[in-house]
Amino acid sequence: MLGTAEGAAVLNRTILTQPSLAPPIRHFLGDNWMTALFSMDSDIGIESLMARYQQGDFTAATALVNQLSPQLHRFFLVQFVSRRYADDLLQETWLRIHEVRHTYRPGQPVLPWLYAIARHIRVDHYRKARRTEIREQSLDENLDIPQQAGAAEAKTPDLEAILATLPESQREVIAMLKVAGMSLEEVARATSSSVGSVKQKAHRAYEKLRERLSGIGVRSERKGEPS
Amino acid sequence: MRDRDIDDALNRAAGASPDVDPALLGRIASSIGASLQPVRPLPPSGVLVAALIVVSVAVASAGAAILGFHGIQAMNAVEIALIFPVLLALIGLAAAACVGEMVPGSRRRVAPWVLLASGCLALTAVFALLFTDYRTESFVSQGVACLKAGLLHAIPTAVVSWWVLHRGFAVNSLAAGVAVGTLSGLAGVSMLELHCQNFEVPHVMVWHTAVLALSGAAGALVVSAGRFLRWK
Repeated sequence: MLGTAEGAAVLNRTILTQPSLAPPIRHFLGDNWMTALFSMDSDIGIESLMARYQQGDFTAATALVNQLSPQLHRFFLVQFVSRRYADDLLQETWLRIHEVRHTYRPGQPVLPWLYAIARHIRVDHYRKARRTEIREQSLDENLDIPQQAGAAEAKTPDLEAILATLPESQREVIAMLKVAGMSLEEVARATSSSVGSVKQKAHRAYEKLRERLSGIGVRSERKGEPS
Repeated sequence: MRDRDIDDALNRAAGASPDVDPALLGRIASSIGASLQPVRPLPPSGVLVAALIVVSVAVASAGAAILGFHGIQAMNAVEIALIFPVLLALIGLAAAACVGEMVPGSRRRVAPWVLLASGCLALTAVFALLFTDYRTESFVSQGVACLKAGLLHAIPTAVVSWWVLHRGFAVNSLAAGVAVGTLSGLAGVSMLELHCQNFEVPHVMVWHTAVLALSGAAGALVVSAGRFLRWK
Protein backbone atom coordinates (compact mmCIF):
# COMPACT_ATOMS: atom_id res chain seq x y z
CA MET A 1 0.00 0.00 0.00
CA LEU A 2 1.50 3.27 -1.07
CA GLY A 3 1.36 6.44 1.01
CA THR A 4 0.18 9.69 -0.56
CA ALA A 5 3.68 10.97 -1.15
CA GLU A 6 4.86 7.69 -2.63
CA GLY A 7 1.75 7.52 -4.77
CA ALA A 8 2.37 10.97 -6.21
CA ALA A 9 6.01 10.06 -6.83
CA VAL A 10 4.99 6.91 -8.67
CA LEU A 11 2.47 8.93 -10.67
CA ASN A 12 5.14 11.44 -11.65
CA ARG A 13 7.50 8.66 -12.69
CA THR A 14 4.77 6.92 -14.64
CA ILE A 15 3.90 10.06 -16.58
CA LEU A 16 7.49 10.71 -17.48
CA THR A 17 8.29 7.18 -18.48
CA GLN A 18 5.11 6.35 -20.41
CA PRO A 19 5.20 8.20 -23.73
CA SER A 20 1.56 7.37 -24.46
CA LEU A 21 0.35 8.90 -21.19
CA ALA A 22 2.60 11.93 -21.04
CA PRO A 23 1.36 14.18 -23.88
CA PRO A 24 -2.37 14.19 -23.02
CA ILE A 25 -1.77 14.75 -19.32
CA ARG A 26 0.84 17.42 -19.99
CA HIS A 27 -1.57 19.10 -22.43
CA PHE A 28 -4.34 18.95 -19.85
CA LEU A 29 -2.17 20.47 -17.16
CA GLY A 30 -0.67 23.15 -19.40
CA ASP A 31 2.89 24.50 -19.48
CA ASN A 32 3.37 24.25 -15.75
CA TRP A 33 2.51 20.58 -15.70
CA MET A 34 5.30 19.68 -13.37
CA THR A 35 4.37 22.42 -10.91
CA ALA A 36 0.77 21.31 -11.09
CA LEU A 37 1.70 17.72 -10.47
CA PHE A 38 3.99 18.77 -7.70
CA SER A 39 1.25 20.71 -5.94
CA MET A 40 -0.93 17.59 -5.91
CA ASP A 41 0.78 16.63 -2.74
CA SER A 42 2.30 19.29 -0.58
CA ASP A 43 3.76 16.57 1.65
CA ILE A 44 6.44 15.89 -0.94
CA GLY A 45 9.03 18.11 0.69
CA ILE A 46 12.13 19.35 -1.01
CA GLU A 47 14.18 17.20 1.38
CA SER A 48 12.63 14.01 0.03
CA LEU A 49 12.93 15.30 -3.53
CA MET A 50 16.60 15.98 -2.90
CA ALA A 51 17.11 12.47 -1.53
CA ARG A 52 15.44 11.04 -4.65
CA TYR A 53 17.54 13.29 -6.87
CA GLN A 54 20.64 11.77 -5.23
CA GLN A 55 19.27 8.35 -6.13
CA GLY A 56 19.12 9.38 -9.80
CA ASP A 57 15.41 10.20 -10.05
CA PHE A 58 14.96 12.61 -12.97
CA THR A 59 11.42 13.53 -11.94
CA ALA A 60 12.65 14.71 -8.56
CA ALA A 61 15.50 16.66 -10.17
CA THR A 62 13.09 18.42 -12.55
CA ALA A 63 10.65 19.16 -9.72
CA LEU A 64 13.46 20.69 -7.68
CA VAL A 65 14.60 22.83 -10.61
CA ASN A 66 11.05 24.05 -11.20
CA GLN A 67 10.31 24.69 -7.57
CA LEU A 68 13.52 26.33 -6.43
CA SER A 69 14.69 28.23 -9.52
CA PRO A 70 12.33 31.24 -9.20
CA GLN A 71 13.54 32.08 -5.70
CA LEU A 72 17.17 31.44 -6.62
CA HIS A 73 16.78 33.69 -9.67
CA ARG A 74 15.28 36.38 -7.47
CA PHE A 75 18.12 35.95 -5.01
CA PHE A 76 20.57 36.79 -7.80
CA LEU A 77 18.45 39.64 -9.12
CA VAL A 78 18.41 41.45 -5.78
CA GLN A 79 22.20 41.44 -5.84
CA PHE A 80 21.98 44.03 -8.64
CA VAL A 81 22.75 41.78 -11.52
CA SER A 82 20.99 42.02 -14.85
CA ARG A 83 18.35 39.45 -15.73
CA ARG A 84 20.68 37.88 -18.27
CA TYR A 85 23.45 37.62 -15.70
CA ALA A 86 21.00 36.15 -13.18
CA ASP A 87 20.06 33.54 -15.80
CA ASP A 88 23.74 32.62 -16.18
CA LEU A 89 24.22 32.43 -12.43
CA LEU A 90 21.12 30.27 -12.09
CA GLN A 91 22.36 27.82 -14.71
CA GLU A 92 25.80 27.66 -13.19
CA THR A 93 24.36 27.15 -9.72
CA TRP A 94 22.31 24.17 -10.87
CA LEU A 95 25.30 22.66 -12.66
CA ARG A 96 27.37 23.01 -9.49
CA ILE A 97 24.55 21.61 -7.39
CA HIS A 98 24.46 18.67 -9.76
CA GLU A 99 28.22 18.12 -9.42
CA VAL A 100 28.19 18.23 -5.63
CA ARG A 101 24.76 16.75 -4.93
CA HIS A 102 26.41 13.96 -2.93
CA THR A 103 27.38 16.55 -0.28
CA TYR A 104 23.73 16.98 0.69
CA ARG A 105 22.88 14.79 3.67
CA PRO A 106 19.40 13.27 3.56
CA GLY A 107 17.24 14.59 6.38
CA GLN A 108 19.08 17.90 6.62
CA PRO A 109 17.42 21.16 5.45
CA VAL A 110 18.00 21.68 1.72
CA LEU A 111 17.80 25.47 1.53
CA PRO A 112 20.94 26.29 3.58
CA TRP A 113 22.89 23.78 1.47
CA LEU A 114 21.50 25.19 -1.77
CA TYR A 115 21.99 28.85 -0.87
CA ALA A 116 25.51 28.22 0.41
CA ILE A 117 26.34 26.94 -3.08
CA ALA A 118 24.45 29.80 -4.76
CA ARG A 119 26.42 32.34 -2.69
CA HIS A 120 29.65 30.62 -3.66
CA ILE A 121 28.75 30.87 -7.35
CA ARG A 122 27.84 34.54 -7.01
CA VAL A 123 31.02 35.41 -5.14
CA ASP A 124 33.10 33.38 -7.60
CA HIS A 125 31.53 35.21 -10.54
CA TYR A 126 32.07 38.54 -8.85
CA ARG A 127 35.75 37.78 -8.33
CA LYS A 128 36.22 36.60 -11.90
CA ALA A 129 34.42 39.64 -13.23
CA ARG A 130 36.55 41.93 -11.12
CA ARG A 131 39.71 40.27 -12.31
CA THR A 132 38.78 40.56 -15.94
CA GLU A 133 37.57 44.14 -15.50
CA ILE A 134 34.06 43.23 -16.52
CA ARG A 135 33.03 44.43 -13.12
CA GLU A 136 33.40 48.06 -14.22
CA GLN A 137 30.94 47.54 -17.06
CA SER A 138 28.46 45.62 -14.97
CA LEU A 139 28.59 48.29 -12.27
CA ASP A 140 27.75 50.93 -14.86
CA GLU A 141 24.85 48.83 -16.06
CA ASN A 142 23.73 48.01 -12.58
CA LEU A 143 23.78 51.59 -11.39
CA ASP A 144 20.83 52.12 -13.71
CA ILE A 145 18.70 49.57 -11.90
CA PRO A 146 17.92 51.53 -8.75
CA GLN A 147 17.58 54.74 -10.76
CA GLN A 148 15.07 53.19 -13.13
CA ALA A 149 13.30 51.60 -10.24
CA GLY A 150 13.32 54.89 -8.38
CA ALA A 151 11.78 56.69 -11.31
CA ALA A 152 9.02 54.15 -11.59
CA GLU A 153 8.45 53.86 -7.87
CA ALA A 154 4.83 53.83 -6.93
CA LYS A 155 3.19 52.66 -3.72
CA THR A 156 4.61 49.17 -4.14
CA PRO A 157 8.17 49.34 -5.44
CA ASP A 158 9.75 46.07 -6.50
CA LEU A 159 12.06 44.16 -4.21
CA GLU A 160 15.22 45.14 -6.06
CA ALA A 161 14.36 48.83 -5.65
CA ILE A 162 13.49 48.43 -1.97
CA LEU A 163 16.74 46.65 -1.22
CA ALA A 164 18.83 49.01 -3.36
CA THR A 165 20.05 51.06 -0.41
CA LEU A 166 21.24 48.10 1.66
CA PRO A 167 24.82 46.89 1.83
CA GLU A 168 25.42 43.55 0.11
CA SER A 169 25.52 41.43 3.27
CA GLN A 170 22.23 42.86 4.57
CA ARG A 171 20.57 42.57 1.16
CA GLU A 172 21.58 38.93 1.00
CA VAL A 173 20.13 38.20 4.45
CA ILE A 174 16.83 39.96 3.67
CA ALA A 175 16.59 38.14 0.33
CA MET A 176 17.03 34.77 2.03
CA LEU A 177 14.55 35.59 4.78
CA LYS A 178 11.88 37.15 2.57
CA VAL A 179 12.32 35.58 -0.87
CA ALA A 180 13.34 32.08 0.14
CA GLY A 181 11.38 32.15 3.40
CA MET A 182 14.29 30.71 5.32
CA SER A 183 14.54 30.80 9.11
CA LEU A 184 17.29 32.70 10.94
CA GLU A 185 19.02 29.39 11.67
CA GLU A 186 18.91 28.39 7.99
CA VAL A 187 20.28 31.76 6.87
CA ALA A 188 23.06 31.41 9.44
CA ARG A 189 23.96 28.01 7.99
CA ALA A 190 23.86 29.27 4.40
CA THR A 191 26.08 32.23 5.18
CA SER A 192 28.43 30.35 7.55
CA SER A 193 27.70 32.79 10.33
CA SER A 194 25.93 32.79 13.67
CA VAL A 195 22.22 33.36 14.27
CA GLY A 196 23.17 36.46 16.27
CA SER A 197 25.04 37.90 13.32
CA VAL A 198 22.08 37.24 11.01
CA LYS A 199 19.71 38.89 13.49
CA GLN A 200 21.99 41.90 13.71
CA LYS A 201 22.17 42.25 9.92
CA ALA A 202 18.41 41.91 9.61
CA HIS A 203 17.88 44.50 12.36
CA ARG A 204 20.22 46.99 10.68
CA ALA A 205 18.59 46.31 7.33
CA TYR A 206 15.16 47.02 8.82
CA GLU A 207 16.43 50.31 10.25
CA LYS A 208 17.58 51.38 6.79
CA LEU A 209 14.41 50.09 5.14
CA ARG A 210 12.30 52.03 7.63
CA GLU A 211 13.94 55.26 6.50
CA ARG A 212 13.72 54.35 2.84
CA LEU A 213 10.13 53.17 2.82
CA SER A 214 8.98 56.12 4.94
CA GLY A 215 10.80 58.40 2.51
CA ILE A 216 8.98 57.05 -0.54
CA GLY A 217 5.62 56.97 1.20
CA VAL A 218 4.97 53.23 1.43
CA ARG A 219 2.16 52.63 3.90
CA SER A 220 0.86 49.56 5.60
CA GLU A 221 -2.08 47.86 3.94
CA ARG A 222 -3.62 47.18 7.32
CA LYS A 223 -6.69 49.34 7.67
CA GLY A 224 -6.96 51.59 10.66
CA GLU A 225 -3.36 51.07 11.74
CA PRO A 226 -1.15 54.10 12.02
CA SER A 227 2.15 53.68 10.18
CA MET B 1 6.68 52.69 10.26
CA ARG B 2 6.85 49.48 12.26
CA ASP B 3 8.62 46.20 11.54
CA ARG B 4 5.30 44.63 10.55
CA ASP B 5 4.77 47.31 7.91
CA ILE B 6 8.24 46.68 6.51
CA ASP B 7 7.44 42.96 6.47
CA ASP B 8 4.26 43.70 4.53
CA ALA B 9 6.08 45.87 2.01
CA LEU B 10 8.79 43.24 1.53
CA ASN B 11 6.29 40.41 1.23
CA ARG B 12 4.24 42.34 -1.34
CA ALA B 13 7.36 43.16 -3.33
CA ALA B 14 8.75 39.63 -3.07
CA GLY B 15 5.41 38.19 -4.09
CA ALA B 16 5.53 39.95 -7.44
CA SER B 17 8.36 37.71 -8.60
CA PRO B 18 9.25 37.86 -12.29
CA ASP B 19 8.91 34.43 -13.91
CA VAL B 20 11.97 32.50 -14.93
CA ASP B 21 12.06 31.68 -18.61
CA PRO B 22 10.58 28.14 -18.94
CA ALA B 23 13.06 27.45 -21.75
CA LEU B 24 15.89 28.15 -19.32
CA LEU B 25 14.41 25.73 -16.78
CA GLY B 26 14.07 23.16 -19.55
CA ARG B 27 17.72 23.59 -20.52
CA ILE B 28 18.82 23.21 -16.89
CA ALA B 29 16.69 20.09 -16.40
CA SER B 30 17.95 18.47 -19.60
CA SER B 31 21.60 19.21 -18.81
CA ILE B 32 21.11 17.65 -15.37
CA GLY B 33 19.27 14.69 -16.86
CA ALA B 34 22.07 14.03 -19.33
CA SER B 35 24.44 12.98 -16.56
CA LEU B 36 22.07 11.88 -13.83
CA GLN B 37 23.41 8.89 -11.93
CA PRO B 38 22.77 7.76 -8.37
CA VAL B 39 25.34 9.16 -5.97
CA ARG B 40 26.43 8.03 -2.55
CA PRO B 41 25.92 10.80 0.04
CA LEU B 42 28.82 11.78 2.27
CA PRO B 43 29.16 9.78 5.48
CA PRO B 44 27.68 11.36 8.63
CA SER B 45 29.69 14.24 10.10
CA GLY B 46 30.53 12.19 13.19
CA VAL B 47 32.27 9.56 11.07
CA LEU B 48 34.35 12.16 9.21
CA VAL B 49 35.26 13.99 12.42
CA ALA B 50 36.29 10.71 14.06
CA ALA B 51 38.39 9.81 11.01
CA LEU B 52 40.20 13.16 11.15
CA ILE B 53 40.85 12.80 14.89
CA VAL B 54 42.27 9.31 14.31
CA VAL B 55 44.50 10.60 11.50
CA SER B 56 45.87 13.44 13.65
CA VAL B 57 46.49 11.24 16.69
CA ALA B 58 48.03 8.51 14.52
CA VAL B 59 50.46 10.89 12.79
CA ALA B 60 51.49 12.49 16.12
CA SER B 61 51.94 9.10 17.81
CA ALA B 62 53.81 7.58 14.86
CA GLY B 63 56.14 10.58 14.72
CA ALA B 64 56.81 10.44 18.45
CA ALA B 65 57.33 6.67 18.26
CA ILE B 66 60.04 7.20 15.64
CA LEU B 67 61.72 10.15 17.41
CA GLY B 68 61.13 8.88 20.96
CA PHE B 69 58.51 9.61 23.64
CA HIS B 70 60.99 11.69 25.65
CA GLY B 71 58.59 14.57 26.29
CA ILE B 72 55.72 12.67 27.83
CA GLN B 73 58.15 10.55 29.86
CA ALA B 74 59.62 13.70 31.41
CA MET B 75 56.24 15.24 32.26
CA ASN B 76 54.51 14.89 35.61
CA ALA B 77 50.91 13.68 35.95
CA VAL B 78 49.42 17.19 36.15
CA GLU B 79 51.21 18.28 33.00
CA ILE B 80 50.03 15.19 31.13
CA ALA B 81 46.50 15.58 32.47
CA LEU B 82 46.28 19.18 31.28
CA ILE B 83 48.27 19.36 28.04
CA PHE B 84 46.93 16.29 26.21
CA PRO B 85 43.21 16.76 26.95
CA VAL B 86 43.51 20.38 25.77
CA LEU B 87 45.24 19.22 22.61
CA LEU B 88 42.63 16.50 22.05
CA ALA B 89 39.78 18.97 22.55
CA LEU B 90 41.36 21.40 20.09
CA ILE B 91 41.89 18.56 17.58
CA GLY B 92 38.22 17.61 17.95
CA LEU B 93 37.10 21.22 17.37
CA ALA B 94 39.43 21.60 14.39
CA ALA B 95 38.22 18.30 12.90
CA ALA B 96 34.59 19.46 13.28
CA ALA B 97 35.51 22.79 11.66
CA CYS B 98 37.17 20.96 8.73
CA VAL B 99 34.09 18.80 8.15
CA GLY B 100 31.78 21.81 8.49
CA GLU B 101 33.74 23.73 5.88
CA MET B 102 33.55 20.85 3.40
CA VAL B 103 29.78 20.35 3.66
CA PRO B 104 27.79 23.34 2.32
CA GLY B 105 25.14 24.70 4.68
CA SER B 106 26.69 23.19 7.80
CA ARG B 107 26.23 24.90 11.13
CA ARG B 108 29.42 26.83 11.88
CA ARG B 109 30.07 26.87 15.61
CA VAL B 110 33.37 28.69 15.36
CA ALA B 111 35.14 30.31 12.41
CA PRO B 112 38.43 28.54 11.54
CA TRP B 113 40.55 31.69 12.05
CA VAL B 114 38.95 32.21 15.45
CA LEU B 115 39.73 28.59 16.30
CA LEU B 116 43.33 29.06 15.13
CA ALA B 117 43.81 32.16 17.27
CA SER B 118 42.03 30.60 20.26
CA GLY B 119 44.12 27.44 19.91
CA CYS B 120 47.37 29.43 19.95
CA LEU B 121 46.20 31.41 22.97
CA ALA B 122 45.00 28.32 24.83
CA LEU B 123 48.28 26.47 24.27
CA THR B 124 50.31 29.53 25.32
CA ALA B 125 48.21 29.84 28.48
CA VAL B 126 48.59 26.13 29.33
CA PHE B 127 52.36 26.24 28.81
CA ALA B 128 52.66 29.43 30.87
CA LEU B 129 50.60 27.85 33.63
CA LEU B 130 52.46 24.54 33.81
CA PHE B 131 56.10 25.28 33.11
CA THR B 132 58.33 27.42 35.29
CA ASP B 133 61.76 27.23 33.66
CA TYR B 134 62.37 30.64 32.07
CA ARG B 135 65.88 29.97 30.77
CA THR B 136 66.50 30.46 27.06
CA GLU B 137 69.40 28.12 26.32
CA SER B 138 69.88 27.41 22.61
CA PHE B 139 66.61 29.21 22.05
CA VAL B 140 66.90 29.52 18.28
CA SER B 141 68.72 26.30 17.38
CA GLN B 142 66.47 24.04 19.47
CA GLY B 143 63.44 26.08 18.52
CA VAL B 144 64.03 25.80 14.79
CA ALA B 145 64.57 22.03 15.17
CA CYS B 146 61.19 21.72 16.94
CA LEU B 147 59.50 23.99 14.41
CA LYS B 148 60.82 21.88 11.52
CA ALA B 149 59.79 18.60 13.17
CA GLY B 150 56.31 19.93 14.00
CA LEU B 151 55.70 21.26 10.49
CA LEU B 152 57.02 18.07 8.92
CA HIS B 153 54.36 16.15 10.83
CA ALA B 154 51.71 18.68 9.92
CA ILE B 155 52.24 18.01 6.20
CA PRO B 156 51.21 14.33 6.16
CA THR B 157 48.26 15.15 8.43
CA ALA B 158 47.13 17.83 5.99
CA VAL B 159 47.50 15.49 3.00
CA VAL B 160 45.56 12.63 4.61
CA SER B 161 42.91 15.02 5.99
CA TRP B 162 42.44 16.51 2.54
CA TRP B 163 42.05 13.02 1.14
CA VAL B 164 39.43 12.17 3.81
CA LEU B 165 37.52 15.31 2.87
CA HIS B 166 38.10 15.24 -0.88
CA ARG B 167 34.49 14.32 -1.66
CA GLY B 168 33.26 17.42 0.12
CA PHE B 169 32.81 20.84 -1.41
CA ALA B 170 34.23 23.95 0.22
CA VAL B 171 32.08 27.00 -0.47
CA ASN B 172 34.76 29.05 1.30
CA SER B 173 38.04 27.44 0.31
CA LEU B 174 40.12 29.91 2.35
CA ALA B 175 38.28 28.96 5.54
CA ALA B 176 38.65 25.28 4.65
CA GLY B 177 42.40 25.80 4.14
CA VAL B 178 42.75 27.46 7.55
CA ALA B 179 40.72 24.68 9.20
CA VAL B 180 42.84 21.89 7.69
CA GLY B 181 46.03 23.85 8.48
CA THR B 182 44.89 24.24 12.10
CA LEU B 183 44.16 20.55 12.44
CA SER B 184 47.50 19.63 10.92
CA GLY B 185 49.33 22.10 13.13
CA LEU B 186 47.69 20.58 16.20
CA ALA B 187 48.95 17.15 15.11
CA GLY B 188 52.44 18.66 14.82
CA VAL B 189 52.21 20.24 18.30
CA SER B 190 50.95 16.96 19.76
CA MET B 191 53.94 15.15 18.34
CA LEU B 192 56.23 17.78 19.88
CA GLU B 193 54.59 17.44 23.29
CA LEU B 194 55.09 13.68 23.13
CA HIS B 195 58.67 13.99 21.95
CA CYS B 196 60.31 17.26 23.06
CA GLN B 197 61.74 17.30 26.57
CA ASN B 198 62.73 20.96 26.51
CA PHE B 199 60.27 22.52 28.96
CA GLU B 200 61.74 26.01 28.95
CA VAL B 201 58.78 28.38 28.92
CA PRO B 202 60.03 30.64 26.08
CA HIS B 203 60.81 27.56 23.96
CA VAL B 204 57.40 25.89 24.25
CA MET B 205 55.45 29.13 24.17
CA VAL B 206 57.16 30.45 21.04
CA TRP B 207 58.29 27.49 18.98
CA HIS B 208 55.66 24.86 19.77
CA THR B 209 52.83 27.35 19.39
CA ALA B 210 54.44 28.66 16.19
CA VAL B 211 53.88 25.24 14.60
CA LEU B 212 50.12 25.74 14.98
CA ALA B 213 50.15 29.36 13.84
CA LEU B 214 52.35 28.70 10.81
CA SER B 215 50.45 25.60 9.81
CA GLY B 216 47.13 27.49 9.86
CA ALA B 217 48.66 30.34 7.88
CA ALA B 218 50.16 27.83 5.43
CA GLY B 219 46.71 26.35 4.86
CA ALA B 220 45.38 29.79 3.90
CA LEU B 221 48.46 30.46 1.77
CA VAL B 222 48.19 27.20 -0.17
CA VAL B 223 44.54 27.90 -0.98
CA SER B 224 45.30 31.49 -1.99
CA ALA B 225 48.16 30.34 -4.21
CA GLY B 226 45.89 27.74 -5.79
CA ARG B 227 43.25 30.40 -6.51
CA PHE B 228 45.87 32.74 -7.97
CA LEU B 229 47.27 30.05 -10.26
CA ARG B 230 43.77 29.02 -11.38
CA TRP B 231 42.83 32.57 -12.34
CA LYS B 232 46.16 33.43 -13.94
